[in-house]
Amino acid sequence: MTRLLREHPSIDVELGSDGEPIAFRWNGRRERIEVCNRWRVEESWWSRPIARDYFKVAGGSWLALLYLDRVDWTWHLERLYD
Amino acid sequence: MGVRTGMPLGAAHRLAPEATFLDPDPAADAAAMEAALDRLAGFSPGLAAETDATRPGFGRVEVQLDGLERLWGPEPLIVSRIGEALAGFLPGPPLAGIGGTRFAAAVAAALAVSGAVSGAVSGAVALHVVEPGADAGFLAPLPAAMLSRDPEVRARLDRFGLRVIGRVAELPRSAIVARFGPEGEWLHARARGEETDPFRPRRAPERLAMSLPIDPSVSDVEGLRFVLHRLAAAFGDQLEALGAATARARLTLELDRSFAAGDVPASMTIDQPLPEPTSEGLAIERLLMARLEAAPPRAPVARVELELGDVAPAAGTQLSLFTPQTGRTGRLGWQLVRLGLRFGEERVGWMEIEDSEAALAEARWRWRRGPSSVANAPAPDRAAPSGRAAAPRLARPGGGATSVARHRSAP
Amino acid sequence: MTTPPPSVQAALSSLRERWGGAAPHWGGEVVGALAVAPRPSPAIDPEGPPVAPGHLPASPDRAISTGFRALDAILGLGGLPRSATTALHGDGTCGKTTLALQAVARAQAAGGIVAYLDLARSLDPVEAVARGVQLDWLVVLTPGSLDEALAMAAMLLQDRTVDLLLLDLPSWSPDGVGISVSKLAERFNRLAALARRAGVQMLVLEPPRLPSVLAGALTQVAALRLELSRRAWIRLGRDVVGQRTEVRVARDRFGPPGRAAELRILYAEGGLRDVCLTRGELLGENASGSVGRLGIAGRAGIVPLAGVAPPGRSRPMTPTSAAWPSPTLLITTLPVPDDATSPSSLAPPSPAPGPQQSLRAVRGSADRSGRQAVDERLRSGREQVGARVGRPDRDAARGGP
Repeated sequence: MTRLLREHPSIDVELGSDGEPIAFRWNGRRERIEVCNRWRVEESWWSRPIARDYFKVAGGSWLALLYLDRVDWTWHLERLYD
Repeated sequence: MGVRTGMPLGAAHRLAPEATFLDPDPAADAAAMEAALDRLAGFSPGLAAETDATRPGFGRVEVQLDGLERLWGPEPLIVSRIGEALAGFLPGPPLAGIGGTRFAAAVAAALAVSGAVSGAVSGAVALHVVEPGADAGFLAPLPAAMLSRDPEVRARLDRFGLRVIGRVAELPRSAIVARFGPEGEWLHARARGEETDPFRPRRAPERLAMSLPIDPSVSDVEGLRFVLHRLAAAFGDQLEALGAATARARLTLELDRSFAAGDVPASMTIDQPLPEPTSEGLAIERLLMARLEAAPPRAPVARVELELGDVAPAAGTQLSLFTPQTGRTGRLGWQLVRLGLRFGEERVGWMEIEDSEAALAEARWRWRRGPSSVANAPAPDRAAPSGRAAAPRLARPGGGATSVARHRSAP
Repeated sequence: MTTPPPSVQAALSSLRERWGGAAPHWGGEVVGALAVAPRPSPAIDPEGPPVAPGHLPASPDRAISTGFRALDAILGLGGLPRSATTALHGDGTCGKTTLALQAVARAQAAGGIVAYLDLARSLDPVEAVARGVQLDWLVVLTPGSLDEALAMAAMLLQDRTVDLLLLDLPSWSPDGVGISVSKLAERFNRLAALARRAGVQMLVLEPPRLPSVLAGALTQVAALRLELSRRAWIRLGRDVVGQRTEVRVARDRFGPPGRAAELRILYAEGGLRDVCLTRGELLGENASGSVGRLGIAGRAGIVPLAGVAPPGRSRPMTPTSAAWPSPTLLITTLPVPDDATSPSSLAPPSPAPGPQQSLRAVRGSADRSGRQAVDERLRSGREQVGARVGRPDRDAARGGP
């Protein structure tokens, strides 16, 4: 069962030398993570272009789904597996 | 056909050479429509029509045919009989369409006139029948512009390359909603042959009203509860005796401004639609009390009037035997209305799956907000009117003058 | 060596294409890939009470099955008690939400209406449906604060209009509460008492790090308190597809506390990959909390994560790729091995033959069958908590960067 964080909160993400996430900070806690899957979603509509790079990550506490919004280049937390 | 109000007569003739153009006489037209509807009432209790001759839609009559075949024969025969009945009221033979939805029926009627589809001529009536369950297929090849009168919507449909109704129906609902907003859901459902505008039969609603003076005037909401309880209980008895139910309550409080600040109004009114038609006075009382608790009156109350609207015969409902939750939706609905009143309607609702395959998670579902959404759930079982013909028993609350009024509202 | 079924062969071939040497191999003995967990040998749990067929708890009138046979077996009533409060406590990805949603599905299957107080604003209806929840009978309330949530809960309990009330508490933040902690604790006490009197089942998802006064109040009011902690990730190749969770009974008014069970929870995401979830020999584990890059034996450094395809129908992503669809949420029925929870136990059972009840399937998926997450429980007495499943952690052995 995954939790869908409806507001997609912004998070701070640390990147490794290869540009992949290695840690993120949310709710005042830092979580070191490992990327176990990734994919891209792009929807080009005149009203609201969507381009996201999704990363499924596993850390000490959480299995989570992050994404990089490639339109405004911000990181967000979308899902927590529980 | 493109004929519009204010168009030169010559242009109108060219567009509709078979039409008969009459001098405008709205009063006479409205009277003719009323007479026609009275005649049609002999065929079906389910009638709806625009009776204002100046409004668009005037001239179209909707007749609910469900269950009439046993009385009048097959549907084309019913239409033929209707045509005969209306012959004396209309300047020409009517045009008819039969469909599973209001939209499909209207389109079928419009196309029957142009001969665009083959239609039987039932008596003097040009008729097109859409077979049960075939509404979507009937609509599919037709221009998508027929889905809406709004020129902007039509232009957008064209811009997106959605030229026929079938193309709109094929797309996922979430895609249409994403591009047209909430109206997109309506367009999509219409295109798929789903009913979007429930049939509301023409009938004269009845109103019940009762008022009580309060001396000395009451300052706190709890004090009002006692008075409201008496009024609601009295109405509940009355409705039960009528075998009726109400769908709307209106509470008017006359305020005593003797010692109040200058900007306090003379009265306060609460209009409350009910989650479902009911004859339960207690349920009405609790709902109105929730409103009062959320927004108490700003001055002592000197008089309370309770008015119930949309009173109609209570209907029985077949419960699904295999969904045990169904019988409790009525009570749940009331509870959720009270929660909405107290905490905000946006806090209460259901979730629905829109498109589980949408690329974005947020596009896969949507809210069905507000306690009113529970009105779509099956209503709990309620006994059909017992057929008692006795005059309503008017319960008179003790003390003070009361007024009891039964108004038959003008249509 | 037996030959895998064609669907599994195709899945393995696809995984090999994407991950090369990191992909799992068929055959029981794995070379150049993550370790494989041996399939647990089915055995009757010698310590548990006999469980009625169809996963009914021992006292169906008094309890709702959790959906995990091993967990039902260690609970005093054989399930979550009706007319009482259950608290699920755990941090991070521990499975408490999965457990809660399964309880919701079961309560609804038994004819109940459920109210979900979604303080955390994180209920995913698509996932809920996949777990068997009927959205028609799930009222969702989104209170603005904990104070408001308790007031809503009290109203629902007073009117007895719901059968199960689920209170999903978010991570603790004093800003989102609205009243003092001690008053909150009092309100919890009153709420639990109200639930008992009303005969309504209450389920509280308790986040970690609650103030001690509040945690104490919850501990007191809960007739059953379960503590969940993740023991290991379950992997399919590189992807994490589930977890092994220990559930310990911290308090049980109806039975002895202190007992524990292990649950395997897998996350299905649709598509061909889910077929592999049913094959235990394809799944690997590594200890929960171990974080680091996966190395591949024989190579130096880190294997870059390029070309890993999302599950389902999409293709690998490359830096210059065009748009690829996200994992589908197809609803599919998975073939389930004997020792896993059968799909029929996950979905609400059909009450009786006759006219179909108005269960709403996921819209737009009329031609797709239901997706089930495959939940597997260990019934072997050897694998009660305390005894580690014996297999060395090969990832630690390989080392990271």
